[in-house]
Amino acid sequence: MFPGRSGLKVTGGWVLMDEEKGEVGNLVWAGTAMATSSEEVLLVVKRVRQKKQDGALYLMAERVAWAPEGKDRFSVSHLYADIRCQKISPDGKSKIQLQLVLHTGETTNFHFTSESSAMKDRDAAKDLLQQLLPKFKRKANKELEEKNRMLQEDPLLFQLYKDLVVSQVISAEEFWANRVSMNSVDHSLTNSKQEVGISAAFLADVRPQTDGCNGLRYNLTSDIIESIFRTYPAVKQKYGENVPHNLTEKEFWTRFFQSHYFHRDRISTGSQDLFAECGKLDEQGLKSMVGQGVRNSMVDLTSLEDKSLDEGYGISSGPSTSSHNKTLKENSNAAIIKRFNHHSAMVLATGLRKQDAQNEQNGETSSTDGNSKDSDFFQPSVKKVKLQEAIEYADLEQENGRKPVALNLKKSDRYSHGPTPVQCQQYATSQDIINSVNCIRHEIADYTPRLTQVLSSSTASTAIAALSPGGVLMQGGTQQAINQMVPNDTQCELKHLYVAAGELLRHFWSCFPVNTPFLEEKVVKMRSNLERFQVTKLCPFQEKMQRQYLSTNLTGHLEEMLQTAYNKFHAWQTRRMLRKT
Amino acid sequence: CRLNIDGLLVYFPYDYIYPEQYSYMLELKRTLDAKGHGALEMPSGTGKTVSLLSLIVAYQRAFPLEVTKLIYCSRTVPEIEKVVEELRRLIDFYEKETGERSSFLALALSSRKNLCVHPEVSSLRFGKEVDGKCHSLTASYIRAQRHSDSSVQTCRFYEEFDALGRQVPLPAGIYNLDDLKSFGRRRGWCPYYLARYSILHANVVVYSYHYLLDPKIADLVSKELAKKSVVVFDEAHNIDNVCIDSMSVNITRRTLDRTQSNIETLQNTIQRIKDTDASRLQEEYRRLVEGLKEANVARETDVYLSNPVLPDEILQEAVPGSIRSAEHFVGFLKRLLEYLKSRLRVQHVVQESPPQFLKDAFEKVCIDRKPLRFCAERLRSLLRTLEIADIADFSAVTLISNFATLVSTYSKGFTIIIEPFEDRTPSIANPILHFSCMDSSIAIKPVFERFQTVIITSGTLSPLDIYPKILDFRPVTMASFTMTLARACLCPLIVGRGNDQVAISSKFETREDIAVIRNYGNLLLEMSSVVPDGIVAFFTSYQYMENIVASWYEQGILENIQRNKLIFIETQDAAETSMALEKYQEACENGRGAILLSVARGKVSEGIDFVHHFGRAVIMFGVPYVYTQSRLLKARLEYLRDQFQIRENDFLTFDAMRHAAQCVGRVIRGKTDYGLMIFADKRYARADKRGKLPRWIQEHITDSSLNLTIDETVQLSKHFLRDMAQPFKEDQLGLSLLTLDQLQSEEMLKKIAQIAHQI
Repeated sequence: MFPGRSGLKVTGGWVLMDEEKGEVGNLVWAGTAMATSSEEVLLVVKRVRQKKQDGALYLMAERVAWAPEGKDRFSVSHLYADIRCQKISPDGKSKIQLQLVLHTGETTNFHFTSESSAMKDRDAAKDLLQQLLPKFKRKANKELEEKNRMLQEDPLLFQLYKDLVVSQVISAEEFWANRVSMNSVDHSLTNSKQEVGISAAFLADVRPQTDGCNGLRYNLTSDIIESIFRTYPAVKQKYGENVPHNLTEKEFWTRFFQSHYFHRDRISTGSQDLFAECGKLDEQGLKSMVGQGVRNSMVDLTSLEDKSLDEGYGISSGPSTSSHNKTLKENSNAAIIKRFNHHSAMVLATGLRKQDAQNEQNGETSSTDGNSKDSDFFQPSVKKVKLQEAIEYADLEQENGRKPVALNLKKSDRYSHGPTPVQCQQYATSQDIINSVNCIRHEIADYTPRLTQVLSSSTASTAIAALSPGGVLMQGGTQQAINQMVPNDTQCELKHLYVAAGELLRHFWSCFPVNTPFLEEKVVKMRSNLERFQVTKLCPFQEKMQRQYLSTNLTGHLEEMLQTAYNKFHAWQTRRMLRKT
Repeated sequence: CRLNIDGLLVYFPYDYIYPEQYSYMLELKRTLDAKGHGALEMPSGTGKTVSLLSLIVAYQRAFPLEVTKLIYCSRTVPEIEKVVEELRRLIDFYEKETGERSSFLALALSSRKNLCVHPEVSSLRFGKEVDGKCHSLTASYIRAQRHSDSSVQTCRFYEEFDALGRQVPLPAGIYNLDDLKSFGRRRGWCPYYLARYSILHANVVVYSYHYLLDPKIADLVSKELAKKSVVVFDEAHNIDNVCIDSMSVNITRRTLDRTQSNIETLQNTIQRIKDTDASRLQEEYRRLVEGLKEANVARETDVYLSNPVLPDEILQEAVPGSIRSAEHFVGFLKRLLEYLKSRLRVQHVVQESPPQFLKDAFEKVCIDRKPLRFCAERLRSLLRTLEIADIADFSAVTLISNFATLVSTYSKGFTIIIEPFEDRTPSIANPILHFSCMDSSIAIKPVFERFQTVIITSGTLSPLDIYPKILDFRPVTMASFTMTLARACLCPLIVGRGNDQVAISSKFETREDIAVIRNYGNLLLEMSSVVPDGIVAFFTSYQYMENIVASWYEQGILENIQRNKLIFIETQDAAETSMALEKYQEACENGRGAILLSVARGKVSEGIDFVHHFGRAVIMFGVPYVYTQSRLLKARLEYLRDQFQIRENDFLTFDAMRHAAQCVGRVIRGKTDYGLMIFADKRYARADKRGKLPRWIQEHITDSSLNLTIDETVQLSKHFLRDMAQPFKEDQLGLSLLTLDQLQSEEMLKKIAQIAHQI
């Protein structure tokens, strides 16, 4: 069981109910008439068996459901968000089935029994599900994962979760209500910081396996597809253009693996290939990359030599003069090399694209500050830095001055002037300061010690001794007492109680000011939660304390806090009553 | 700090110094004192450049009459810029210490493409286009035309520079390429011509090898540099190839076709001028009678088409009568072209020496040696006379005429090979005439002769003794320095076999062996799961890499590697590789980790450093021998054997090992850096190979790591990487890092004396 059902809205006709097996958390239709459901039915497939019962399968906007024949209530219903994946029976099997696997691990099988169109029915259902599932999947998965992660990473939170949700003080939804949103924000922040890169070998992972009958099988996962799309935008574009209206997904990838585009060592022969264009686009991309040249002039091989020999001079006639006398093999070898360079560059680029975009943004902001220079003048300075780096011998120099970190100021005026004060009168003017300094100086100058009225040295030293740790006046501190008197596990329990109470109180106080009906409802609920907490958690603890004869009132503060909350609630309620009457 | 290097006060712009830097400066000082040449090998990342600059600048200040100029040559534009920045640091330090503004002028010079500020011209992408466009705006006759016709476009930056720029020398300071540009923009002067003019009186010039070694360019840029200069060739491990490249010419059918159309254009232009302005041609004729000497005193902007090394005596002579008139010359070119066409119509490979070629040419089409020698110069004059604006179009005919001059000037050290087809594709006719220089000393000879001190230095210059041989010079100092280390931050491992005990090697017989390829793949796969951040792997050739990558792909090895790291691969397209390289660095930077598959002798292996996390391991798959079946190589090997007594195998191994060392050396760029160097070929274990690695790498190869299996390699790597990943404790001091006091102790000086290994 997992607390992941926050997206659910319980509307008329839908109830939460235990299934026959008694597992918690499955939704089962229990309404009286289907007509009451306002949901759109996308597909109805008749003659579908489930648990050896004939019935009909309904695919709706948010859930898939099944109703036994002759009855008008669903006995099986799954939200799309709860479905992890669907599986189908292999083509050759006599039973044509569709299996839904839920996140909880349960499975539900549907057996399509229509004699004439079982296969068609199944495929229709499958295709529709295929389109629908991803939409819901992502959201549900993310949320679940996120919550799971938070619980795992934060033991305190996990304890709290156990204290409050498992013991049913508050519901899971209430528990997560303001946590997820808050956390998903900062998580997305860390997300944007670092994205997982692409393995350069992702195409190696789809190495074909022979399936034993003269065919090849490629294993393609969504990760690989994602990698292909990110690395080769041209393929993604093709995919968008052709799938699903021209080709099915399967056909698309089959063609992809058949194309010379994938097998780059094959030289392109015809242009009817779907991916011929991709190859061309890639070549253009490579060309433009090359055409852009390199930023670092130290690695620019084209301008490395100062004065190259003119054509016709020199001992070697240079690389093979013309391309037409190259053999086919040489050409294909060259193609492989080109491909590797391009592939690596593209893989590298997927990781850098974001950075670049950010850098560009930064560049823009800095240029608005007027700090940017004309690119023509800027370029030599990059070169100069590289040159300086190249001639540096760090170990020959005395390490007297480490290079200080340069202060990168976006707005230099803000740095030199500081933020403008909101309320000027709170600040002393410089005249005031000078005056007061003068005043103090004056007083110090005029200060004359009254030596007759000081303490004698012996009295002073006893006073200091008494106030030092261990002194007479320092004894009886409760801090020590608690540490020593209360056993560790009780301390721990107390800590948990504090945390739980704090959480509940936080919820409670966050309802104020109560200005919406929702908050009203919530504050009432929170008060009952608090009471429940006091009865189920706090009171047993107190009793335990008493049994152990711990005299100190450890829970006094907790009670006090609860009492304050009750008072507040009471005050609010009486006020509301008054207003109502 | 201030150092005392053998009696010379040297300002060193750091608080501490590496012992090897001190040792290096001592050797350098000795070389300068002797006014001789030197070859010095110093590990990468030990501050070679700053040591060079500190000492030579100090020397210049102490003996301003002995050393007037430092010419610092490096290979790539970033390297050039790095050197200037280090120099700036040094001069800043001088100013701080002495408290006075220095009157030091140092500048970088680069091609127009890197210096042009003309809004239209500088927006062009290729160096050739920039040069051509610049020429069309600044050529002397164009500027002359503008006097009469104001609609002719010229470059205002050049005009401003020409009017004012030479009167006042460039103010003292350090000018990097960007500094020159911004200075040029401020003044409205052309930075390129300003720089070219200013190198004459600058204290330090930093530019690329070509400005000294390529006769086509050296002749115009570096001709007037003072004799009392110190020339430094940094990253000089490949200097012989640069020399050879600058003197070699290849002619294909396409070249000849384009020459044909060039000649037609010339002919038409001549005809037109003859009809309208015959006096112009007569004027040229008169000039040519008087000799090329005068023709050579052309305006600096016209010398875009300079000739290959012209012996001085030619300049004294008059152009032979047979090619003096424009029409005759074009006719001569036509004959030459037809002859070359006939030579390209071959069915089998032809190899001959320049004298044989000349003899054949004389017999077949009666082309004499003498007019051939003047060919380049004559064409230059003609193009100027005809006022041809878009000179880049005439590159084909220029190439042919340069070839003509070269082939008739040098009878030794060159070979001509005509191949009817490429070896790999014998069915496709693609004839090429290679005119190939085999003697790297020819191009560098003027440099050694002219300048009093030439320093050849690099991180990998082993075996040192071979360089003086192939470059034909006599060094006064030759030394290899080791790297003092507080912790062994490099870990060379030689992997000789796979876990299945199959020997792994890229040698020809087994390179297609599936077991070897699989073992190579397993090695990379295993390493990719052990090594953090970046791994660089080098293959012996591009083709080999393509094949291996293809079979790794088929075997699914690459996919498994991709689970650990992204894969980037060098291609033959420089722009594409740059992109891959940048993405590779990005992936190392953001923690994803990446592998760069690259090629020895490629651009990456020559010019890109993989500091720190950009390269935690480098794997050298195989021994990077050159393609030994090439006829050019065979000819060169023969020549080396006959002329310099260098055995073929020695040279091939030397060449392979210097490239291997270059590749693996890419990962260690300093003492705080660390990296694995994995040599994946059992042949590396042999003494003749291992012995040719730089000493600073050799020292760390233990006997137990000579023939490891992949598993053992992984274990050792894991251990090494874990060790190195610990925070670098500050115990370098006194060991691999010295304070001034420590440097002066007797004991330390003794230790330092052992760092340099004289050869």
